[in-house]
Amino acid sequence: MPVWLREHRWRQTAAAVYLSLPVRGLRVTPANIFCTDRYLKVSIPPFLFEAILYADIDDANSTAKIGNGIIFFTLYKKEAAMWDSLTLANASKEKLQYLRENAVLKAHEKAKEETESKKVTKQEHKKYALEATMKLEEAERKRIEDLKEKERQKVTKELELWKKQQEDAEKQKRVQKEGELHQEVEQLKEKKKEKMNKTRIPNEGTSKMRLKATKGCHGSRTMFSEDLKEEQLPAPRSAATIKINFTSRVFPTALRESRVAEEEEWLRKQAEARRTVSADLSELEDLKEEEKNPDWLKDKGNKMFATGNYLAAVNAYNLAVRLNNKLPLLYLNRAACHLKLRNLHKAIEDSSKALELLTPPVPDNESARVKAHVRRGTAFCQLELYTEGLQDYEAALKIDPKNKTIEKDAEKIRHLIQGTTQDS
Amino acid sequence: MAAGLERPQVVAHAQQALSYTLFDVKWVPRSARLLCLGSAARGSGLLQLYELRGGRLELLREIEKAKPLKCGTFGATSLQQRYFATGDFGGNLNIWNLEAPEIPVYSVKGHKEIINSIDGVGGLGIGEGAPEIVTGSRDGTVKVWDPRQKDTPVANMEPVQGESKRDCWTVAFGNAYNQEERVVCAGYDNGDIKLFDLKTMSLRWETNIKNGVCSVEFDRKDVNMNKLVATSLEGKFHVFDMRTQHPTKGFASVSEKAQKSTIWQVRHLPQNRDIFMTSGGAGSLHLWKYEYPAQRSKKDLEGAEMGVAGSVSLLQNVTLSTQPISSLDWSPDKKGLCVCGAFDQTVRVLIVTKLNKV
Repeated sequence: MPVWLREHRWRQTAAAVYLSLPVRGLRVTPANIFCTDRYLKVSIPPFLFEAILYADIDDANSTAKIGNGIIFFTLYKKEAAMWDSLTLANASKEKLQYLRENAVLKAHEKAKEETESKKVTKQEHKKYALEATMKLEEAERKRIEDLKEKERQKVTKELELWKKQQEDAEKQKRVQKEGELHQEVEQLKEKKKEKMNKTRIPNEGTSKMRLKATKGCHGSRTMFSEDLKEEQLPAPRSAATIKINFTSRVFPTALRESRVAEEEEWLRKQAEARRTVSADLSELEDLKEEEKNPDWLKDKGNKMFATGNYLAAVNAYNLAVRLNNKLPLLYLNRAACHLKLRNLHKAIEDSSKALELLTPPVPDNESARVKAHVRRGTAFCQLELYTEGLQDYEAALKIDPKNKTIEKDAEKIRHLIQGTTQDS
Repeated sequence: MAAGLERPQVVAHAQQALSYTLFDVKWVPRSARLLCLGSAARGSGLLQLYELRGGRLELLREIEKAKPLKCGTFGATSLQQRYFATGDFGGNLNIWNLEAPEIPVYSVKGHKEIINSIDGVGGLGIGEGAPEIVTGSRDGTVKVWDPRQKDTPVANMEPVQGESKRDCWTVAFGNAYNQEERVVCAGYDNGDIKLFDLKTMSLRWETNIKNGVCSVEFDRKDVNMNKLVATSLEGKFHVFDMRTQHPTKGFASVSEKAQKSTIWQVRHLPQNRDIFMTSGGAGSLHLWKYEYPAQRSKKDLEGAEMGVAGSVSLLQNVTLSTQPISSLDWSPDKKGLCVCGAFDQTVRVLIVTKLNKV
């Protein structure tokens, strides 16, 4: 049960009611005061003061002053009339209750309304701010556009002006030229009359040079000086060739830094694949690391072939083949060695094996296939199997029709065949 | 914002849509006309002459040739004659008189494959010495021609016997400051840059910039070689200081990566050799300024002179197209006027402003 505060005093004027409520020793905050237009309550638990007012007041403007152990209310009346008493007397409990609830409801509604209106004003403020910034930005953009447009126009005008100047200069030059030409013609006529049989620079030459001189005077100095230069131009350079080497690159495409890593990877994998296709481990243990690499062995073989050491070359190729029997170039080179060693059957075998491995026939292995055919053809011819030899030569010619040596050799073989058939 | 507008601006002045693939554009010297050359859909070469009139390009002449045209230059012709030299897809070098273009003034089948790049020196009243044209081709050779000598080149830079060839993508003349001196710089697709001295007929310097070289240009052809800019794939370009050559390290350089795409062309402003424009594979143009270092050369540990490279700063960049801008040319007569051609079959005339204040 609350403790009622009843020691209040009040006085009134026509427009306002002044109510003072002592609250000795209690701490009062605005939250403890609840006021609507008909109902006033001060609740400081456990103390309570409430008053159902005689008439309506304007609760928005009314004030409450808290201090010195007293709350001093200044309540402005809605209607200027004197009140009989502060509170409504002889009000029934139900009425009181109803009034209280009403008051609370009204307060709620008022609060809601206030928040609503606050929200609305906030929205409006935001919109306004947004529009303002948009306008500012628009103005800025327009300013820049205008500046750019002005530049453009200025520049276009300048260009047109410059063009006009050029055209005027051209016209002037042309007029001058015609003027000079007239003068020249007259002068020449006079000169012709004076000097009849002199061999001089042809008339056209003089007039041209004079014209060029006038042109020179009119601002294009370059033409004039260029004319002098023409007479002093050096002879064409004596032809020479400079031989160059390129930084080696395996791929036919252009070099790109971002692709280098991929390319290295691919090359490494290719090299790996070539190294040991058919490795015979037991015999290979005593070989050095590089001797297990068929590419290195092939290079060795090539070098020995170049120096003329055909047997050694064959050995190198043999070892390489044992390591990797899928490389056509090994068989091809070995065939060449056999040819030099006159092991013709072996040469034929190796060339055939090479050709087998060089399928499918694509432009990339063209040169290799041509070599294989030529070597096999040579071997056949040396075995006096001329028809087979001719077949191979013709195959080689089909791949590379522009090769003159092959053509000549094919011709020779044809003659040989015809010779032998004629004899027999 | 104000500071931004003090920089040179690239203003689009005029553009023209074409009905063929455009490979090269060049201003006709001493005029407001330009030449566009390229390849028509039917496999023939087209040469069109436009004039800039009142903000628009008007077609004056159209010349059709048998093979598609790849590149051209006015560099080796006199100002009165203004003959145009072109290289085409069949490896032919032709010099045309545009007044009478039916028969070329000079013609030679210089290369076995397409001529990728051409340059001329000794003409237009610039520099001294004989007029010469250099062509670089996919067959790996670089050949120098004199229009007075038929059929054989006066210099031929070819791979050693048995060496597999690399495509030559770009060539440029330089160092032509008197009648004897001349160098040719060539860039290849494997990243090689080679400098050939024509006076001694030897290879003067070579290096590899790790990316295929798309374009090389000296800042001036007719002075003692000062700077060389080489652009490459992967958006990089290198500026070499060519005044000091170190016996082993060669020329000092500074490199810059401006963008992710290929830099197709570099062109120096004829009126200011420290400003150059690069055109990129994303349809963009970048305007750069080179600043020299405090000292251009210094001595290394053994006392040999070596060059010091400066720095490059970006003045402006602009994106004009979605396709690569493959060709670019500054007008030699009006500062800031330039034309560019892109693979979207459009030729654009641009004006770069405020170059005086740079």
